[in-house]
Amino acid sequence: MTHPTPALPCGRRRRRVWRAASALVALLTLLVAGGGPVSAQRRWTIAFANLTEEPGVTLEGTGFTGAEVRESFNLAARLYPVDLVFYDNRRDDARAVANAEAAVARKVDLYIQYHAGAAANATVARTLKAAGIPVLAVNDPVPGAPLYGLDNAAAGRLAGEALAQFAARAWAGQPTVAVVVGRVAAAAERVPERVRGLTDALHQRLPAARLTTLDTQGNPAQVAPLLGAFLAANPARKVLVAATDDATALAAKAAVESAGRVRDAAIVSHGVDRSIHGGMNDRKEIDPSNRGSIVIGSVAFYLDRLGYEVLPLALRMLRGEPVPARTATPHKLVTAANVFIEYPPSDMN
Amino acid sequence: MVRTALVVAGVLLALLSLGSPALAQTDCKTVVPASPWGPNDQTGATNRVTAAVTKAAAAEIQTGKVTAMSYPLVDGVPLFGSRFTKTILTAVSLAPGAAFGENQLTYMEDTWLSQSHVGTHLDGMGHIGRKDCYYNQIAMGKFINQNNMTKLGLEHLKSFATRGVLVDMVKVYQAANKFKGNAACKKPCLEKGTVISAADIQAGLKMYNVTLREGDIVVIHTGWGDLFEQFPAQNALYNSGEPGIGKDAAKWLASQKVVAVGSDSWAVEVIPGEDPKEAFIVHNILLTDNGIHIIENVRTDLMAAEAAASKRATFFFNMTVPKAVGMTGNFVAIDGIQ
Repeated sequence: MTHPTPALPCGRRRRRVWRAASALVALLTLLVAGGGPVSAQRRWTIAFANLTEEPGVTLEGTGFTGAEVRESFNLAARLYPVDLVFYDNRRDDARAVANAEAAVARKVDLYIQYHAGAAANATVARTLKAAGIPVLAVNDPVPGAPLYGLDNAAAGRLAGEALAQFAARAWAGQPTVAVVVGRVAAAAERVPERVRGLTDALHQRLPAARLTTLDTQGNPAQVAPLLGAFLAANPARKVLVAATDDATALAAKAAVESAGRVRDAAIVSHGVDRSIHGGMNDRKEIDPSNRGSIVIGSVAFYLDRLGYEVLPLALRMLRGEPVPARTATPHKLVTAANVFIEYPPSDMN
Repeated sequence: MVRTALVVAGVLLALLSLGSPALAQTDCKTVVPASPWGPNDQTGATNRVTAAVTKAAAAEIQTGKVTAMSYPLVDGVPLFGSRFTKTILTAVSLAPGAAFGENQLTYMEDTWLSQSHVGTHLDGMGHIGRKDCYYNQIAMGKFINQNNMTKLGLEHLKSFATRGVLVDMVKVYQAANKFKGNAACKKPCLEKGTVISAADIQAGLKMYNVTLREGDIVVIHTGWGDLFEQFPAQNALYNSGEPGIGKDAAKWLASQKVVAVGSDSWAVEVIPGEDPKEAFIVHNILLTDNGIHIIENVRTDLMAAEAAASKRATFFFNMTVPKAVGMTGNFVAIDGIQ
């Protein structure tokens, strides 16, 4: 049973309907424009203190630089009501603490800290907590702050599994050895975690394959003599090469070619930096038109997209929404089959 | 016997269907919207340029002032990816004794080696798709050969004789105190990566009291073309990215039923794009989904100056496109007439 609405004079009723419709349209416009009235009006100031922006210095045992990380924040910020303030921690504890103090003076709304010094990070946490500024940590923990970071062990496992799958598919029943080459002992950059993930996957999937590590100490020029000697010592075996980074992978490819062992080797790398996926006109090692390359893939670390991953977390914190204590980079194996999806070569250079 | 033959035929058919994956095609009805001009439409947005639209546009010609809106077509200008240009002059009849007849006729002609999407150029309906699906749900895999397309070629386009509207983004950003330029530009230009939004375009229209009409061509001045003009010195910078429209601007322009969107940049849309995993998404929105042309490397600075001086940002858009059968685009010359 329904109760009839009291009749209104025609003009008043039309006005009410009109007002209700207008309010609905206004609300819908706000929602469509920016996820709600608050986000449409409020702009946030977010500080990002980068690990280092020293030109040419690469981060996390990959080919990415601090400038690329910074640029990823600039690009991602275009999507949000955010003003960014950048600091360079220069891998220096005193500088990291001074940067946090500067951000407090500037009254930023949130601080994103990317610094490896545990003691400095503890001081930064205390300083910002006293000022009521929330902190989000990148790659290295800051006490009390949610952490976004690489998962080196998972990345290594992906690389190991890719190599094992290749061996099972292409070299089934043939004697095979595996070698991990690169800055395998770089603990500060967590490369040993990467190596552990790799070796776990290879031992699990290819228990019969002997595994060797060759430490280049981060010098790609060392790849040729080390890997060349290894290849010479294994003349009748197939060789799975796990490179800890893309520069090492390209050097390993050259070493394999010099040794005349292209038909005996497959390489998987870590990083997917521009040296290996490239722009429109670059020579791209991982490329749909280069499917015959012995570099069969590289595990993406996405440091050039860090801002796109981290800023949404920062905004959730600012809106008072819960964020996980630990968020890991969604590492993925990038091959010739998916490289243009992951990294569309959209620039003309 | 008959039964055996039927079985063999069945097996052969099954093998054939398994062995020809290249013929597998996407259901384009799920990937691309239908054209508002019907299932046989291969024309796209120039359907909007009716006689009434052209007549109304003609009213823009008041002083007769003609402003060039295209760059010189010459070797050395910035080019996308592996594109190239090479001109070769044939002048053999200038050799002694090679002239024809008593009137000593001589002649010269050119060989122009290049791709169609170079310099100031128009993107046609067959330029950009989603998978193998192009404008109006056409599964282009069935309509290409090694020479050209058999659907969606430039020969299907109608007239571009319509009103042009210049939107001066440099002024908009300066007025809003959010201008961030690039030091390599000799005149003010927006920095690459600047996302031009629908609100920015609306602000630019308001600046000159313009309301878009169905059938307009919108030309966006970002200043980035200043780097094109400096060719070849700034080619690498010009190619490294650009300011341009973002997705919401493209959708808004499509909702305004424009015919084309041009800009003084190589892709019209913002590069790097808003989402790093999307490739030239504005091209998909305008061309693939809405049949709206994109005109790249438009020279906009002269018209921007005219608009600033005359306080009028509308003009008669004078551009013809060759009836190049089966082609995806072509270089064009544009004049803005006020």
